[in-house]
Amino acid sequence: MSTAAGTMAPELGFFCVGLNHETSPLEIRDALVLSDEEVGRAIRALRERAGASEALVISTCNRTEVYARGAELPNPPAFVAALLQEIKGLDLAGSGKSYLYTYREPESIRHLFRVACGLDSQILGEPQITGQVKDSLTLAGKLGGSGPVMERLLDAALRCAKRARTETGIGRGPVSSAYAAVNLATKVLGSLADKKVLLIGAGEMAGLAACHFMEAGIAQFMVANRSRERAEKLSATIAARVISLEAIPVALPGADIVVSATSAQEPVVREAMVRNAMKIRKNRPLLFLDLAVPRDVDPHVARLPNVFVHDLDALGQLVAQSLAQRRAEVPKVEAIIEAEMARFLRWHRSLAVKPTVTAFRSHFEEIAKEELDRHRGRFRPEDHAALEALVHGIVQKLLHRPTTRLSRADGEEGGIARVDAVRDLFGIDQEDRDADRDAR
Amino acid sequence: MQPLIPLLTTILPALYALSVAAYGRAYADEASTGGRWGPVALRVAVLVHLLYLSARGVTEGHLPLASAYDFLSATALSLAAVYTYLELRQGVRTTGIFVLPLVFLMQVISSAYGNTVPASQPPLFPFWFELHTMTAVLGYGAFFVSAIYGVLFLLLYREIKANRLSFFFRRMPPLETLGRMNVSAASAGLVLLGLAILMGIGWARMANVALAKDPKTWLTVGAWLLLGFAVLAYHRLGWRGPRAVYASLAGFTTLLLSRVVTDLFVRSFHTWR
Repeated sequence: MSTAAGTMAPELGFFCVGLNHETSPLEIRDALVLSDEEVGRAIRALRERAGASEALVISTCNRTEVYARGAELPNPPAFVAALLQEIKGLDLAGSGKSYLYTYREPESIRHLFRVACGLDSQILGEPQITGQVKDSLTLAGKLGGSGPVMERLLDAALRCAKRARTETGIGRGPVSSAYAAVNLATKVLGSLADKKVLLIGAGEMAGLAACHFMEAGIAQFMVANRSRERAEKLSATIAARVISLEAIPVALPGADIVVSATSAQEPVVREAMVRNAMKIRKNRPLLFLDLAVPRDVDPHVARLPNVFVHDLDALGQLVAQSLAQRRAEVPKVEAIIEAEMARFLRWHRSLAVKPTVTAFRSHFEEIAKEELDRHRGRFRPEDHAALEALVHGIVQKLLHRPTTRLSRADGEEGGIARVDAVRDLFGIDQEDRDADRDAR
Repeated sequence: MQPLIPLLTTILPALYALSVAAYGRAYADEASTGGRWGPVALRVAVLVHLLYLSARGVTEGHLPLASAYDFLSATALSLAAVYTYLELRQGVRTTGIFVLPLVFLMQVISSAYGNTVPASQPPLFPFWFELHTMTAVLGYGAFFVSAIYGVLFLLLYREIKANRLSFFFRRMPPLETLGRMNVSAASAGLVLLGLAILMGIGWARMANVALAKDPKTWLTVGAWLLLGFAVLAYHRLGWRGPRAVYASLAGFTTLLLSRVVTDLFVRSFHTWR
């Protein structure tokens, strides 16, 4: 029950048990991805068997984490390991390795915020996790897992993620080669909306790059591949025109971006071919993104004016720069996390302050009422109203300053200690606990 | 108006210095897309500059273009105004740091050494000759900005070609945008200088001045034709990349040369005193 300031505060009882890409291999993470129905089973078990008042499960390809509040568990990781075994049939305890981590308050809150901001992601600052956290909260809400405190906590985590994205550069720059290719194309050609892409090769890398170019607004694609069947499969997803490898010299003048990712051992694009294409396209800029190893584009092509050739090394350089920049932004995100954590905890502390204030006032008003009733007979009936007003006025004046100070206690240094002292001095612990329970 | 001039003369370089600092800071901060204080400071500076030149005009009874220092101040205003227009049109704020230090420097020199012309001096030339000078100065400013974007284009072009993806690469707008800014500024300069040339020819005929013997006139017309070709090549021939930029830079160099030749090596009615 101890806070960072060392004073007494109402306990949130919030813990997190989970595993992620840092603590477990891919096969374990894959085996523990929970479906919506399985998340429902986990939440029910946490509420019914562990006594949690609120529960939430975040399950993605890189992490499975269980968050619970108010659970009465002597050993949370053992309970979660048993629960995952029950649901997925995977014995984590029996493997002899410790894949699970456990965070207790306040680290559990900090961890949730870090997850929402993408600081705990495999690709630092990736944005998908924020949406996944949001989806987890929606699911927990539907399944009856989340309550007012958990919802407030998740709201704070999502606000934190939004601030991190808008106030820092944690999400800036490309962090994959395919996305770096789009970034580079934008840097050379400006708006990509009216540009044409020629894909040489129809493998995974070419497909991934095509998806990123589609997201960037490109609508015109051509695919040249040795296997027509494979090219047609890719063209179905990006609405591309399929051509043969022999037709590349004819297609080249019409393209603005050429993405090449074949497994050919010899260059597919030669200097003479590009020189002719540049004449036809009146020297308009042409960008080659060579994602193949060995390279598909003859290195001499890069010497031609207005022709830009970038291979995996160049794209890797862009990715490395972005990651370095994102790492430099981590302290700024951590500062936002600390501020949002403090804000949330202040709100939570206020849950205890309000009932204390109410109980404190009631305590005095009851004494005044008792004393009035006891001595009422000694006064004339016509004076009772004036007497009541007098006593009420005295009580109000006596209580004004302590009530004001108490109401502000959640935002002040040592404020919670003051609340504890009032509880102790006036014997209102019992009322406070009842009211706190009601508020939760 | 006259008491206002010393105050504006001092404020103006300070406002440009503020703009330079704000744009410099925005350029250095990679998390920023250009900041908002720089554009605010610059727009205030441009308005104050207009007020300053207007006050000078009212006080002196003619457009304030009587000395080389006045020419510097008007060119500084032209540079700042053309840059502001391009920034608004293209939405690019990270290149201000390459234009505004020049503006600041020009205005500092003008403020420090200018303002020596006594008030209420009678105009030397008819108003529309002054207009010729003013449009020419505005044209120079536009070509100056065009040249700066041309150089930025070439630097970025080389960086991308050589796979040097440095801080400069990250802070610059797309290459295509820099090319467009280069041509847009050159187009504005072309129109302004074209008007200036026409007005100059009209004035020379009326004043019986032998333009054919003036080297400045020939160099300026030559520069105008070169720049005209660069703009035409971009729009009509589809020229992109270094070739188009080199053409516009050649035009600007000729224009600069015409100014230097006129001021330092020959005697001409175009020479600033």
